[in-house]
Amino acid sequence: MSARLPDEIRPVMENGVPVILATCSADAVPNVTLVSEVYYVDAEHVALSFQFFSKTVKNVRENPHATIILNEPGAGRRWVLRVDYDHSETEGPIFDAMDMQIEAIASVTGMSGIFKLRAADIYRVLGVETISNP
Amino acid sequence: MGVTKTSEPAARAIPGVILQFLDRASVALGCTADRDRLPTIHWVSGWQADADQKSLWCFVPREFEAGLRQAIAAKGRFSMTVEHIGPHECYQFKGRILEARPATEADAAVVARCRERFAAAVRQVPQFAGHEAALRRYILDAVVAVRVAVHEIFLQTPGPGAGSLLARLENPS
Repeated sequence: MSARLPDEIRPVMENGVPVILATCSADAVPNVTLVSEVYYVDAEHVALSFQFFSKTVKNVRENPHATIILNEPGAGRRWVLRVDYDHSETEGPIFDAMDMQIEAIASVTGMSGIFKLRAADIYRVLGVETISNP
Repeated sequence: MGVTKTSEPAARAIPGVILQFLDRASVALGCTADRDRLPTIHWVSGWQADADQKSLWCFVPREFEAGLRQAIAAKGRFSMTVEHIGPHECYQFKGRILEARPATEADAAVVARCRERFAAAVRQVPQFAGHEAALRRYILDAVVAVRVAVHEIFLQTPGPGAGSLLARLENPS
């Protein structure tokens, strides 16, 4: 069953604050990493960039479950997304948009040329909740 | 400061350069997984190497306890990524939970130091300049201290080398 992303999450996805991504291997070893951005595809899907043959990429192809935290430090709020890896796209409008944004982020952070988009990994959103500062 | 990858990663303890890194790092995220291999993220508000230099103490706030109690009871696997915001220096520690206890005042002092490093690092980002109070509040007070035996340390600094094994502890705690 899918969940719908609320409209108010879209600016958080574009705020430039690193995103936390957790996955788990087939043999139950958790992995947690920081990624530069998560991309809004539609109200039920997000995309993450596949740039290197990372543990994350390997894990979600073995076990599709993943958890994402989007950070909103100014508001004292975090968004927790339960997602499942669905498929990858290596061309098309989503891929092209992500490719442009990755280069823009890389140039701002002094990492231009290090990153190359191999695929846009599309995830289905299964749950959305928030954690706010007390 | 970077860490050179060696051809022989076996180590008796967490390497000194990594211990030094932990003292300057500014953010840490932990992760466990349940029996269905569903990963859960635990924000780590503060961290500190144990005196044995083979294990790490992770201080977790109440808001990120979900799933942690079960992992503690099972002495389950725990992974933690630690980053020095700014230079993007980042490592992931993978191991198993050894023990847990309620967080103490001494732990709160560790959290306070980590909180200051987080706020100092993130305020350098133009959109957060002048938001130091909000940045400090973002690092929540910890309620539980979890000790994790480190089995492996991976380079996580963004780039093609990310994911490389830096050290495997010969005889973890």
